[in-house]
Amino acid sequence: MNTKRLMLFVLLALGALFLGACSGQPLTNTWPGLAADGERAYISSGSFVYAVDVETGREVWRYPAEADNKLLFYASPVLTDDGQLLIGSGGATHAFVSLDPETGAENWSGPFMDAKGVWVASPLAVNDTIYAPNTDGFLYVLDMNGRQAADPIELGGALWSAPVTDGELIYVTSLDHHFHILNPSTLALAESIDLGGAVPDSPALGDDGVYVGSFASTIEFVQPDGRRETVGNAENWIWASPAFDGETLYYADLSGIIYSLDLATGRQNWDAVQPDGPVVASLLVDGDQVYVATEAGSFLALDRDGKIVWEKTPGGKIYTTPVRSGELILVAPYQAEFALAAYDADGKQAWTFTPTK
Amino acid sequence: MWESLIIQPLTNLLLWIYDVLGHGPHMFGFAIILFTILIKALTWPLNAAQVKGAQAMQEMQNDKEWQDIQKKYAKDREKLAQEQMRIYKEKGINPFASCLPTLIQFPIIIGLYQSIIRALSATPLDMLKLARTVYPFQNVENIIPLNSTFLWMDLGRPESIQVFGFALPTLAIIVALTTWIQTKLTMPASTNPNDQSAAMSKMMGIYMPFLLGWFALNFASGISVYFIVSNILGVVQYAATGRANWSNLFGGKSAPVTRKKK
Repeated sequence: MNTKRLMLFVLLALGALFLGACSGQPLTNTWPGLAADGERAYISSGSFVYAVDVETGREVWRYPAEADNKLLFYASPVLTDDGQLLIGSGGATHAFVSLDPETGAENWSGPFMDAKGVWVASPLAVNDTIYAPNTDGFLYVLDMNGRQAADPIELGGALWSAPVTDGELIYVTSLDHHFHILNPSTLALAESIDLGGAVPDSPALGDDGVYVGSFASTIEFVQPDGRRETVGNAENWIWASPAFDGETLYYADLSGIIYSLDLATGRQNWDAVQPDGPVVASLLVDGDQVYVATEAGSFLALDRDGKIVWEKTPGGKIYTTPVRSGELILVAPYQAEFALAAYDADGKQAWTFTPTK
Repeated sequence: MWESLIIQPLTNLLLWIYDVLGHGPHMFGFAIILFTILIKALTWPLNAAQVKGAQAMQEMQNDKEWQDIQKKYAKDREKLAQEQMRIYKEKGINPFASCLPTLIQFPIIIGLYQSIIRALSATPLDMLKLARTVYPFQNVENIIPLNSTFLWMDLGRPESIQVFGFALPTLAIIVALTTWIQTKLTMPASTNPNDQSAAMSKMMGIYMPFLLGWFALNFASGISVYFIVSNILGVVQYAATGRANWSNLFGGKSAPVTRKKK
C-alpha cells in the first residue's frame, strides 16, 4: 500500500514538474534587444535595460534599479530625436516606458493595460508620434509624452517587428502574413498585402519601396502603392530583415544560408554560403564586410564575395542583430557567459560586458 | 530522444489535423479534440488492460485466501509480500497491470502539452523551435502562426471568464468536475472494509480533480480541452464496457460491479 501511495505521489509530482517546466504563461523569456549611439549601447535583457559605455564596456546605469517581476525587457530600445529611450515590457503589466538615455531615469511610464499583449517589437518614433506594435495585433499611437494620440489601429495577427518609414508612409509587418502600408496623416490603412507566410521582422527600406522576407521563403519588393514583386527566394523560412546597400540585397534563412542578390540582374552573387546554423539576426552590412551572427553562436565577417574574413565564437546563441557603434560592432548573445561583446572590423575583441548581480 | 520520439510527431500530427480542418478560427480547438479522440483510440487497448487489471485486483480483495493472509501476516510485512506475490502468480494476475497503462500514457499527456505550446508558438523562441520541429515534407508556412482562438478561449493561455468583475476559471472547474465524475464512475465498489485498493481509488478521487483543475487553472487552456475530452471519452469507454459504477455518482448504497461471464 505504501509503495502504491508513494508511486501515486511521485507520478503527480512528476506531472506537476514536467508541466510546470513548460508553462503556457505569457512571455517569460527571449533573446535580448540592442541599440546604440556613438557613446553607449543599450541592451534589454530580462529584468533590466542596461546602458553600457562603448569605450570601456562598463555599465553606466540600469533600469529599473531593482528587478521587478512585472517588468521584462527584450524588445530593442529605440532612441528618439528628442532624446528619449523607448521600450515596451514583455511583463504582466504591459508597461511602456520612456527613459533618459543619459541617466536611465524614467521620463514617463504607462502600465498600458489597454494593450492585451506584450511588447516584442520596438516602436517607431517619427514626427512627434510613437507607433508601437503589440502582440495583440494593434498598433498603438502615442504622443511623445506617452499619451494616446489616436485610437489604436487594428492590424490583426501578432506584431513582432518595428515599423519603418520612408518619411511619407509607415510599413508594418504582421505574423498573420500581412504587410501593411499606413498613411500617418490619416492613420488609414493604404494597403494590406498577403505575403503568403508569417513576417516576424521588419522590412528594409530600398529605393522607391521596401524589401520584406517571410516564412513563404521569398523576398518581396513592395512599392508605396502596394504593387509587389518577388525578387528573391530562399531554401527555408526567412526570419531576419534583409539588408540593402544600394545595389545588393543581403538576406539569410533558417537553414543558415546567406544570400547576396544583385538587384540589377536579379542574380545571386555567390553560391550558397552557409556558415554553421540558422540565421535569425539581420545581417549588418558595413564597409567592405557583411557581418553574420548565427544561432550556433558564431559571429563572422564575410567579404563582398562571400568569403569568410574572420570568425569568432562569442558563445551562446545569437539572435540579436549586431549593431555598429563608432568603430566597434556590438554583439548580444543569448545564454552566453556575457551579455554584450564588442569587436573591431578586424575581429579583435575590445571588451565584453557581464551585468553584475 | 524525447524531442524526436514524442514532441516532434505529436506536434506534426496536430499541425496536420489543423491543416486538414481548414486552419481557420476555432480549428485548433477542434484539432485538439480530434487529436484526443485519436490518442484515446490508439490507447484503447491500454485502457482496457488497465480496467481489466483494476477489476482483477478488486476481485482479489474479496478473495477469502487473500483476506486470510492479510490477517495471518499482518505483523510480518515481508512474509505478507511473499504470499501476495504467490497468489498473484497462481491466479495469473499482474499487479502492475492497472498502473502500467497510466505510466505509458503519462509521457503522452506531457508531450501533448508541450506540443500544444510548441504549435501555438506565442514567443519568438517557441517559433524558432517550431521551425525546427516541422517535418520537411509538411508545408505549414501557410498555416503558421496558428489561430489559437477556440470559442471564447485563447488556447495558448489559461482561461477565465469575467463574471461581476471576477475572473471565473470555467474550464478549470469543468476539468475538475469531469475528472471527479470519471474517477467516481471508475471507482470500483467494495464490500471489504480493509480493501486497500478501494482506499487508494478513493484517494485518487480526491486528489486527481484538484490536481488537474490546478493544471487547468495555471496552464494553457488547450491542455484543459484535452483533459475534458479525455475524461468524457474515458466515461464513455467505461460505460461501453458496462463497468461504470453509476451508484458512486448518484449516491445510494454502492453495489459491487459484477460482469456476467460469457
